Amino acid sequence: MKRIKYHLLIITILAFANLAKAQQARLSKPTDSAAHSLKTYHINEETVITATRSERKLSNVAIPTKIITQKSIKQIGAMRLSDVLQEQSGLFLTAGFGTGVQMQGLNPDYTLIMINGEPLVGRTSGVLDLNRLAIGNIKKIEIVKGPSSSLYGSEAMAGVINIITDQSQKNKVEASVRYGTYNTKDINLNTTFSKGKFTFAHFLNNYQSDGFSIRPYSVERTVAPIWRLTNQFHAAYQATAKTKIELDLRYAYEHIQNQIAVTNNGIITYSTGNEYHQDVNLNPVITHLFSSKLKSTLRLYATNYNADQSLNTSGNSIYDDKLNHQFLRAENQTDYYLNDKVCFNAGVGMVQEGVKSNRYELNSTRRTNNIAYVFAQTEIKPVEKLTIIAGFRYDNNQLFAAAFSPKIAAMLKANDHLKFNASIGRGFKAPDFRQLYLNFTNTAAGGYSVFGALEAQKQIEFLQSIGQISSIESDYYRLKELHPEYATGINLGLQYNPSAAVQFDFSLFRNDVENLIDTRLVAYHKSGAQIFSYLNLKNAYTQGVETQLNVKITPQIAVAVGYQYLLTADKDQIKEIKAGKIYTIDASGFARLMRLDEYIGLPNRSKHMANFKFTYENENYFTNLRILFRSKWAVSDKDGNGLYNTNDAFANAFAQINFAAGKQFSKQFRAQIGCDNIGNYVDIANLPNLAGRTFYTTLTYQFNQKNK
Amino acid sequence: MKKNQILIAMAMVVSSFYACTSDNTVTVDTTNNGTFKVYTVGNVTSVQNLIADTIVGMSMQGQPVGTGHFTFFNLRTGSIVPNADSATSNWDVAFRGTTILTNAGTSGPGAGGAYVHVGLFADVNAFNADSTVRTDAAPVYAIKTGSNKGWYVYDGANNLITPIPGRVLMIQAANSAKYKLEINNYYKGGVTPLTSATDAIKLSTQRYYNFRYSAL
Repeated sequence: MKRIKYHLLIITILAFANLAKAQQARLSKPTDSAAHSLKTYHINEETVITATRSERKLSNVAIPTKIITQKSIKQIGAMRLSDVLQEQSGLFLTAGFGTGVQMQGLNPDYTLIMINGEPLVGRTSGVLDLNRLAIGNIKKIEIVKGPSSSLYGSEAMAGVINIITDQSQKNKVEASVRYGTYNTKDINLNTTFSKGKFTFAHFLNNYQSDGFSIRPYSVERTVAPIWRLTNQFHAAYQATAKTKIELDLRYAYEHIQNQIAVTNNGIITYSTGNEYHQDVNLNPVITHLFSSKLKSTLRLYATNYNADQSLNTSGNSIYDDKLNHQFLRAENQTDYYLNDKVCFNAGVGMVQEGVKSNRYELNSTRRTNNIAYVFAQTEIKPVEKLTIIAGFRYDNNQLFAAAFSPKIAAMLKANDHLKFNASIGRGFKAPDFRQLYLNFTNTAAGGYSVFGALEAQKQIEFLQSIGQISSIESDYYRLKELHPEYATGINLGLQYNPSAAVQFDFSLFRNDVENLIDTRLVAYHKSGAQIFSYLNLKNAYTQGVETQLNVKITPQIAVAVGYQYLLTADKDQIKEIKAGKIYTIDASGFARLMRLDEYIGLPNRSKHMANFKFTYENENYFTNLRILFRSKWAVSDKDGNGLYNTNDAFANAFAQINFAAGKQFSKQFRAQIGCDNIGNYVDIANLPNLAGRTFYTTLTYQFNQKNK
Repeated sequence: MKKNQILIAMAMVVSSFYACTSDNTVTVDTTNNGTFKVYTVGNVTSVQNLIADTIVGMSMQGQPVGTGHFTFFNLRTGSIVPNADSATSNWDVAFRGTTILTNAGTSGPGAGGAYVHVGLFADVNAFNADSTVRTDAAPVYAIKTGSNKGWYVYDGANNLITPIPGRVLMIQAANSAKYKLEINNYYKGGVTPLTSATDAIKLSTQRYYNFRYSAL
C-alpha cells in the first residue's frame, strides 16, 4: 500500500520530468524532493509521453503504449524507421508510394507519425514513407494503438507513432559506419554536449545504396539507387530554474534514381526516373513551470516537404510532378496537477497548412486550410487501483466539416501482477489536399481525369459549358462538402506479470470506420474518358486480438513472442453479399452466387501475423535471432466481382529470419554483424521491397568526456 | 473449396452425359485446347477462343494494337460471318478487343440491340419488360465499353481483363430474335494468365472470347 502511494506521488511529478531532470543535473536545488524521487524513478522504469501528452510511468498509463528502446533498435541493426516497425507485433509494412505502416488493419493514411510530438507531413496517396526517417539518434519510439485524435487531431485514427530523439546531456561523440550487401553504406555521427545552462545535440546520417533488383534480366531496379542525408540539431537552454527553451531543427534530403528499359517491337527505349524529396522541420519550445502544480508549454512548429518526381525518355520529359507541403502550427498546452488524485491537461492551437502542386489547377497558388483546435483531458484516480482518463479535442476546419474526438480510458490494477485496461475513443482523418483540390488529367493513359471534391462541380460545369461532357453519372449529384473519415475504436486489454521475468499482454481491438473517402465515376468526357471525384462513401471495420509474451529465461537469455489475429470487412460489401447481389465464378469460369463465408474483407491484410525473438546478452556481447511470419493476403480481384473472396489471388504466407550479433571490445569500440532474410525469401510481385539475403557489418566508436 | 470444385466437375460430367444420352448423339468434346470451337449441349451453345482482333504490335505510344477489324458472329447459326458481310443482317454480335457490337444503329442494318442483366445465366429466361434494349450509337454502344461499365473489369495494376461474374448480355439478334449470353473468359484456352505473367504473355493470349449463349 505504501509503495503504491509512493508511486502515485511520483506520477504527479512526472510531467515535470524534463525540467526536473535538468534541475537535478545541475544540482541547482538539492533539496528538491521531486528531483530526487525522479532520479530513483528514472533508474527503475521508463516513461512514456505519447499516450497522455505528459510524461507517465509506463506501467501507470491507462492507454497501453509500446516502447521500442534505443538498445533494441541498435541490436536489430536497423537504419530506417521501417526496419524497426516491421519487427513489431501487429504492424505490417505496405509497399506502394513508399513504405507505409498498417496498424490494427487500417491503412497507412490513418497512423500519425511524429518526431518529438510534432507531425511529419508529405504523404503520397496517403502514405508517409517510413524510409525517410533515419533512426541513428533515437532514444525510443512510442507506439499508441487505437484512436488518439482526442489529443492529436487528424490522422491519429488507427494510432500514433512518436519518435523521441536522444537529447542526453553526456559529452560524447559517437561515429558509426555500416556496410552491407548492395553496396549499402550508412554513416552516423552523433554529438551531444552540455555546458552550463546549454545542451546541444547534433546528428548526421548519410545513407547510400545501389538498390537491388529481384527481377531477373532487368535493368530496372526494384529498389532504386538512393542517397539520403539527414541533419538534425537539438539545442536547449535552461533560462531560469523554471523556464526552459528548446529548439529542434531537422533537414532531410533524398534522391532516388531509376533506370527503366521498355522493349517495344524489339526496340529498347531507356528512361530515367528521378525523385527528390526534401524535408525541413523547425520546432522551438518554451516550457515554464508557474508553480509545482502548473506547467505551461508553448510549441511552435514549421515544416516543409518538397517532392519532385520526373521521368525522361530519350531526353524527352514525360512528366515532372512537383509537390510542396507546408505545415505551420502554434500550440499551448497547460498541465495542472490539482493533487495526487486529479490532474488536467488542456491546450489550444492553430494550424495553417498548405499545398502547392502542378496537379492542382494553378501550380503557383498554395491551397491552404486553417485549423483552430482545443483539447482537454483529465486524469482521475478515484481509488488507488483505478485510473480514469477522459478527454476530447475539437478541430474547426476552414475547408471541410469540423471534427469532435472524445476518448475515455480506464485502468484497473487488480493486484501487483494483473492489470486491466479499457478505452473507447473516436479518431478522424481530415480529407487531404489531393481529395479537395486535385485537377489531374492523365493524357498518357487514356485521358481520364480526377478532380478534388472542391474542384469537381466547377470543372465539370465548365467542361459542360464548352460541350466537352458526354454524360453525367448519378454520383455527380451526390458530390458535396467532404467530411473527415471517422473511426470509433474500442480496446480492451490485460497485462499479467506473474514474476519479474515474465510479462504477458493480451488485447482485443475493434475499429468501426465511417465515411471512408472513395473515388467515384461522376461524368464522362466527350472523348469517352472517365472523370472521377471523391465522396464519403464506405464503412468498414477491423477487429482482432493482439498478444505479446516476454520471458527472461536466464539473466542473459530472453524470448519474445508476438501475435496478431485480424479480421476486416467493408460493411457495405457484406450487405450486398447478404442481399444476393454478389457473384463469383465456378470452376468453368461462369457465374454463381457468392457466399458470405467466402468473403475475405479488405485486401493486403493477413489474418495471422507473428514474430519471435530470441536474445542472448551479457555485458559485452549480444546475439539475436528474429523470425517474422505473415499468413497469406489477398492481392488482386481475380474473379472480377469487385471484392475480395477465396476465389481471388493471394500472396503466399512467408517467414523471414533475421540474425544479428555484436561485441563491445572496449568502452569506446563496438562492432556488429548481421544477416537479414537468412532464408532468402523473395516474392517479386507482392513484396517488391523485400531484398533477398543481405549481410552487413557495423563499427561504432565513441569518444566520451565527463561533463564539466 | 476443393470439394466444391470436384462436386461441380462431377455435376458437369453427369449433366453432359445426360444431355448426350437423351439427345442420342455423339459425345461432345468440351475440352478447351486453345482453338476456335463451337458446340451445343442441350439448348446452350458454347464458343471457345473466338479471336477478337488479337494484338499485332505496339503503337508509337506503346499501346497494343490489332488490325482494327471486328469478328462477326451469327448466334442463330453459331458461326463466324465473313467481314465482307459486315453491312448485312447476317451477323448478330461482333467482337474487337473488349468492344462488343450488336447489329443495329451505327453498327449495322439489323434490328439488333442489347442490355446487360445482373444475375445468373440460368435464372434469366426472358427479356425484362422494364429494361430498355439499347442500340449502338458509336462511340457509345448498347453494351457499354470501359472497365466496370459493361461486361468486364480491367485490373490496371496487373494489366488483366476479367469478365464481371453475374453479368448476362441480353442480345437482340439482327432479326430481333432474343438471346442471353455469358462471357467466362477473355484469354486463349479460357485461362487468364497469372498476375505475375509477363506483359508479352498477357498481350499475346488476350482477345480470345470464351462464352456461352442460349436462345430465349
